[in-house]
Amino acid sequence: MAKTYDYLFKLLLIGDSGVGKTCVLFRFSEDAFNTSFISTIGIDFKIRTIELDGKKIKLQIWDTAGQERFRTITTAYYRGAMGIMLVYDITNEKSFENIKNWIRNIEENASADVEKMLLGNKCELSEKRQVTKDRGDALAIEYGIKFMETSAKASINVEEAFYTLARDIKAKTEKKLEASNPPKGGHQLKATEPQRKPTNWLSRCSLL
Amino acid sequence: MAASAGGDLPTTYDVIVVGTGMTESILAAAASRVGKQVLHIDGNEYYGGLWASFNLDNLIKWVKDCESGEHLPSDLDDSNSDVKINNGEDFVFLKSSASHISNINLKWHIPKKNNEAQVEQWSRKSQTGHEEEGEGAVVSQPSSGEGSHSRTHTNSESEKMPSTNFIRNGNWTQEDIMREYRRFNIDLAPKLLFARGSLVELLISSNIARYTEFHAVTRVLTWLDGELNTVPCSRADVFATRYVSVVEKRMLMKLLTGCMDSENIVQEFEGFESKTFLDYLKSKRLTAHLLHYVLYAIAMGTDDMPCMEGVERTQRFLNSLGRYGNTPFLWPMYGTGELPQAFCRLCAVFGGTYCLQHPAKALVVSSDRCVGVVSCGQRLVADHVVMSISQAPSHYLEDPSSSGISRAVFITNKSIMPAEKEPLTFLQFPPGPTHPNTVTVIEVGPSTHACPKGLFVLHMTCKQNKSAREDLQEIAGFLLMQDDVNPSDYDITTDTQSTQTSGQESSSTASEGGSGGDDTATVRTKPQVLWSMYFNCAETSKSLLNANVPQNLHLCSGPDLELDFEFAVQQAERLFKTMYPDLEFLPRAPDPEEIIIEGDTPDSPEDEEANSLESDEQASSKQI
Repeated sequence: MAKTYDYLFKLLLIGDSGVGKTCVLFRFSEDAFNTSFISTIGIDFKIRTIELDGKKIKLQIWDTAGQERFRTITTAYYRGAMGIMLVYDITNEKSFENIKNWIRNIEENASADVEKMLLGNKCELSEKRQVTKDRGDALAIEYGIKFMETSAKASINVEEAFYTLARDIKAKTEKKLEASNPPKGGHQLKATEPQRKPTNWLSRCSLL
Repeated sequence: MAASAGGDLPTTYDVIVVGTGMTESILAAAASRVGKQVLHIDGNEYYGGLWASFNLDNLIKWVKDCESGEHLPSDLDDSNSDVKINNGEDFVFLKSSASHISNINLKWHIPKKNNEAQVEQWSRKSQTGHEEEGEGAVVSQPSSGEGSHSRTHTNSESEKMPSTNFIRNGNWTQEDIMREYRRFNIDLAPKLLFARGSLVELLISSNIARYTEFHAVTRVLTWLDGELNTVPCSRADVFATRYVSVVEKRMLMKLLTGCMDSENIVQEFEGFESKTFLDYLKSKRLTAHLLHYVLYAIAMGTDDMPCMEGVERTQRFLNSLGRYGNTPFLWPMYGTGELPQAFCRLCAVFGGTYCLQHPAKALVVSSDRCVGVVSCGQRLVADHVVMSISQAPSHYLEDPSSSGISRAVFITNKSIMPAEKEPLTFLQFPPGPTHPNTVTVIEVGPSTHACPKGLFVLHMTCKQNKSAREDLQEIAGFLLMQDDVNPSDYDITTDTQSTQTSGQESSSTASEGGSGGDDTATVRTKPQVLWSMYFNCAETSKSLLNANVPQNLHLCSGPDLELDFEFAVQQAERLFKTMYPDLEFLPRAPDPEEIIIEGDTPDSPEDEEANSLESDEQASSKQI
């Protein structure tokens, strides 16, 4: 089967419960918004293919499956992630303060060169704002990462955020490829794996 | 954090699963998958219990916790007193899994750090690609020159940095290794997956395979006539081996075909039903080498293994050949501790609630039923409680002492048999006069994320006889250099010959990212042990439960001695069937692309289920 994309990037969404991670994901992947996602149920990951500089990039964006609720994200969640969206809610001070904890969690579990980005979500709720844009900016600068305020509901900056993160990962990936040092991965088990005869070894050897 | 948030937990569930070991996690996933409300808690701050994989820092912490007997059974100390207990109910206090670990022996075999001058010399040497003679002995004293150290740190911490600058032979320090602690994934219960074993089939059929990645084991070795030998698993191997003549190859073929020929199996093995596999092999007049390959490496048996068991094991090996890679085995990337987590993820995706650092202190039992558990001052109620045997009170077990597993882990500076490409090795060490049990040896390298570049992790597992150290030390000595060496011994400069070997080693390591060595090297030095750990773990797969166990309490075994996860998968399926006889065990989870969620309708998992059969085309047309 021909590959329909040039790059596949695994992205993660991280942040406290209720900051709108799943909504951000749905806004980007389906261009839809639904407030009835009280918590993340049944959402594993979403896929959207975008185009950047003539390259087709398949973004596989993983949701936390609610395991962030008691800070019990599996270490396996972080494996192979190339980009992470750190999301807080501008109307929730605590979710902003917890970003530092999440970054520590990422440093402990994700690959050291994972690309990170900070999102202050729910920016349409300006009357309830508890975290100023400047503080978001300052935190992003402190960690040397990019920052945007987004609204999944009003569809503000969600596209831009994912494109920005994807562009940065693409640049990094291409730099690595130039250095002819592509990362070696393992293999996933597929139901449709090329079936060889189980007795392959025997039948081949009988040629001897 | 998690513990403090615990008070928020809803109190009623279909299933409460205590502990995130392999069997428990499979069951949690299976229950959640068919729509049951699952709470999955674990007293540890990590997943996997006795099946976990740790980075080096966390492993050392784990050892300390086990030694200090932390998480020991809590008496009526804390919040339990707040928990309401109804008439006719009793608390049954639980044990800590740590009680299943004993005889821990952790040791560094290298100095803590080197002085500044040494560090400078290393980087100079690796730039020129030569090892030099005449270095001073390694001095293990605190360095005053932090400057040069921290400069090196920055380099080694960057993933982009080719670690060649940092690769040395025999000159690692504890500091070097601890600096890279995050790059280790060391397994408490290392296991391989047969390519057609029940875990592989389950991962594929349930679609949980998408959370995991594997490497195929690259070679099967055996120990024959005092040295390591590659067991031929493929045509290329058969050609490569100089131990098997053409005549022998025919004999081997005939024998293996006989074992696989199910139609004539009864005739073939007539008269051997009560004999050993060895008797059968001898009757086939196999040469000593072939007999060794078949009995010890392919069937992974012992001299007294019954014939039909040997046939079954041979079949299992051969059946798994040719599916992935060159051998019948797979190894999970990042270690076996990923596997329970993959099942936990599925459980969470289908609505399961996860809470680590949330020990279950007691069961609430009413006559022959388990009402629920007491955890963090909450009384949590469920129809079924699933729990590890390691936490069960001893009066639930027929024979609480039971048997044990001896384990050893070594961090080494190269492979036990260096190869052109980084090897991933399985070796079943045959029994010998001084060691009655076979020893399972698994060696994993940096590309599986077991360790940083330039290092290997070697696992040994066998049935417990005495202590892990006594059981495994001798075989470790066959494969590894694990003496307490003097500083001058691990300094690369002591004699010319070893210096030359070291030179080859480091240059090929530089290009191959850690494999090292080549076949032309006549002097093959054993890998040096940089760090070692021995421990014993209880083997509970054969533990018998007694009548005291409440009917709706389902106890799961800890890691067993077998190579694969066969036992855990089968136990999970069996327990699931007793819990939910009419429901399917882990039906395929839909791919996210197959789930269409309508814009405005609130979705429950059931709705998604109903929609999950949407065709791929429809889903993908939404993309772009």
